[in-house]
Amino acid sequence: MLFNSYLFIFLFLPAALAGYFLCGRLGNRAAVIWLALASLVFYSASNWQFVPLLVTSVAFNYLIGWLLIASKLQGRQRFAVLTIGVAGDLLVLGIFKYAGFLAVNLDAIFSAGLKVDILLPVGISFYTFTQIAFLVDAYRGHVAGYALPPYALFVTYFPHLIAGPILHHRDMIPQFEQPAAKRPNPHLILCGLMIFAIGLFKKTCLADGIQPLVSLAFGSGTPTFDQAWIGALAYTFQLYFDFSGYSDMAIGISLMFGIFLPLNFNSPYKARNIIDFWRRWHMTLSQFLRDYLYIPLGGNRRGAVLRYVNLMITMALGGLWHGAAWTFVIWGVLHGLYLCINHAWIRFAPPVAPWFAGAANLLAMMVTFLAVVVAWVFFRANNISSAFHILSRMADPSHTAFGRAEMVQGAFVACYAALAWFAPNTQAIMGYDHKTRTVGEGLGAWPMRPLFLYASAAVLAFGILGIQQYSEFIYFRF
Amino acid sequence: MRTPAKAIIRLLCVSALIVAAAATLNFAVDPLQLFRPARFTPAMYSSDTRMQDAGLIRSQPFDTVFMGTSLAIHFRQRDIDRVLGVHSLKLSMTGSNSHEQSFVVAAALATGARRVIWEVDDWIFCNAPDIGSDVYLPADLYRGNARGIASYLLSGAMARESALILMRSVFPGKPILARPTREALFKFPLSRVDDINSLPPDADVPGSYNAAKARAAFADITDPVRRAYLAEGYNTDAMVGNFERDMVDLIAKHPDVQFDIYLPPYSILQWVAMRDASPATLQIVYDFTAYLARRLAELPNVRLSDFRAVQEVTHDLNNYGDVIHHSPTVDLKVLSWLAAGDYVVDRSTPTASLEKLKAQVETYRVAENP
Repeated sequence: MLFNSYLFIFLFLPAALAGYFLCGRLGNRAAVIWLALASLVFYSASNWQFVPLLVTSVAFNYLIGWLLIASKLQGRQRFAVLTIGVAGDLLVLGIFKYAGFLAVNLDAIFSAGLKVDILLPVGISFYTFTQIAFLVDAYRGHVAGYALPPYALFVTYFPHLIAGPILHHRDMIPQFEQPAAKRPNPHLILCGLMIFAIGLFKKTCLADGIQPLVSLAFGSGTPTFDQAWIGALAYTFQLYFDFSGYSDMAIGISLMFGIFLPLNFNSPYKARNIIDFWRRWHMTLSQFLRDYLYIPLGGNRRGAVLRYVNLMITMALGGLWHGAAWTFVIWGVLHGLYLCINHAWIRFAPPVAPWFAGAANLLAMMVTFLAVVVAWVFFRANNISSAFHILSRMADPSHTAFGRAEMVQGAFVACYAALAWFAPNTQAIMGYDHKTRTVGEGLGAWPMRPLFLYASAAVLAFGILGIQQYSEFIYFRF
Repeated sequence: MRTPAKAIIRLLCVSALIVAAAATLNFAVDPLQLFRPARFTPAMYSSDTRMQDAGLIRSQPFDTVFMGTSLAIHFRQRDIDRVLGVHSLKLSMTGSNSHEQSFVVAAALATGARRVIWEVDDWIFCNAPDIGSDVYLPADLYRGNARGIASYLLSGAMARESALILMRSVFPGKPILARPTREALFKFPLSRVDDINSLPPDADVPGSYNAAKARAAFADITDPVRRAYLAEGYNTDAMVGNFERDMVDLIAKHPDVQFDIYLPPYSILQWVAMRDASPATLQIVYDFTAYLARRLAELPNVRLSDFRAVQEVTHDLNNYGDVIHHSPTVDLKVLSWLAAGDYVVDRSTPTASLEKLKAQVETYRVAENP
């Protein structure tokens, strides 16, 4: 089921909310069970065949977690249990996500006639990662015992289930166990509705609106210099508004249930360097990769050279997490390289003179943005040769169309750039603070002012009017 | 607003009001003429045929359906009517697959049409997903069900078109309104059905269709970086399956309808590109079209014409804008051949024209034909 569908907006969400608050009257546990069941219904609407896989995954990880937390295993036994748990998760992920990729590569090397064609369960990367984090923390002794219903809800919670944000058990399960969240809070529902409206607008009006321009670069034709740039930039903004729109919708929906989700975006294209970019783009994935991959690999604790090696490994695997294709690996490696250069620059480059700081910041932002755009070409292209072909067209100004259509399209892309660079982001507009669990507070009474309210209503209406017959979120496939 | 609860109600009510206003505007103007022929505002048409066809089928009188891909997109209905003596409705859709075409033809036949002229490319059978999962075709609009009507009335993009059509009718002849409707920004810029995807009278035909463009396209599709596209989706079994489902079944269900099916005259370079860059694909096309010809020869209400080996057209590269798309001059030739019954496939030797094509492809040398 898509957030940007009539079925979800007019039927599922109101029913889930009403049931949640009604069950909340019966008790905390009843509301949690209702929400977990509603999440399974949400998932089964388009992935019914993978519901048993999801349920099995939850049961398996809960059992492993219980063994690590509650049983009296020691030393090697605990490590063996953790190994079984993580290996089991990775094995399932490997079979469903990477077996086909492996077969293609083995076939290319050995001409063995191997072909594996397995349907990818939506959201498997997200719910696998959240549970691996849970097991690792349980092994480290950072987890208190959880009852099954809140744990099951933590994994299946429908606002995040399909495309994140990647949740952390320490953040979510205590919220699920709070009785206060089971009573309707009009302030949170109103703010959630407004955040949902902004996200829906980003998706249906902005991301879907620019989508046709993407084929200028990534379609089957040969683009000119300007068409290749328009197409690549269009994808850059489509991806941002699509994914950040989804994250906003997830945060808004969750807020209606009284649950604060972590932020996933913080105006990433305003970043002044790649380190900054990764603190702003898909923030929950960055945190996961840092805490459960980069730091366990050694992080920056074993010298500069190993730090760079660890960065490259982390980002290459981060790329592979997005999809089983070499284009994603190259995208990850490219970002790893950018990060290494960035860290080396910080270490070796002379400080910027104060009189030059403004221009230097602007230059840094532009260079960072261009580096990100180049990497997105690999992320989006069908294969590596196509990516190089598009990049070669982007580097060849001798073939330029620049007709009336390109001028209109260029102006269109410029409007998106202005929004991404100069407009305040959702959390700034709404005063959303995940850490302090507050929203709309810093703005005083002005969310209630009629103009703001009517603007929000218009944004919601335009978001609904922008719904197309079929428009999936890009991150569903990861 | 004093309390958040009241603010929620107000927000939802205002949203509902805006959505209702857009739906009312769409219903009143009805850009697709889905509910009634245009009366209060001038009829306007879109070149987005997958959407527009749903309205055309309901609003236009016709006895003959003209279907195909971009190869059949520039035909003018008045030429079809004049040459073939019919009352036609062109429903061709750029880049359409066999399932889309079959679905739209079936919807048009449900209104009582008795003849179908169908331009058929081999690649339309390569990848033809179910209509339910087709991203591009608004199937529910054709079905006229609640979901289709809701998606039409609740469409913001359609409301924008409705508003523009309304403004044009209130302020006719205002260039500030007329200009953007002719440009790329709006979807309903055409005031005559006959102009849908037809080339304008002042079109630069020699500039758009010439040997240099055809050769450039040939070089592009045979480029080692891009030649993989030539083979994309080709699989004989899948193509046969789609052909049986989308074409044979539809024809069998309408024994009282005459189907004039034709294989269009691509430039010889299309075949040579496959011969040189993807011979396995060429073999699949040969095998599949041989099957198609034999199968259609068995159906009494089908007349198959094969223009693929008409050398005086296919070898003159000045007829082409790339390796397949031919000029309006060839459009008229195709109509005249259909009217005269030229190049009709003999039911007793259905693959004779294919053998002729094979011989041409085998002997053609690009370097010798500058």
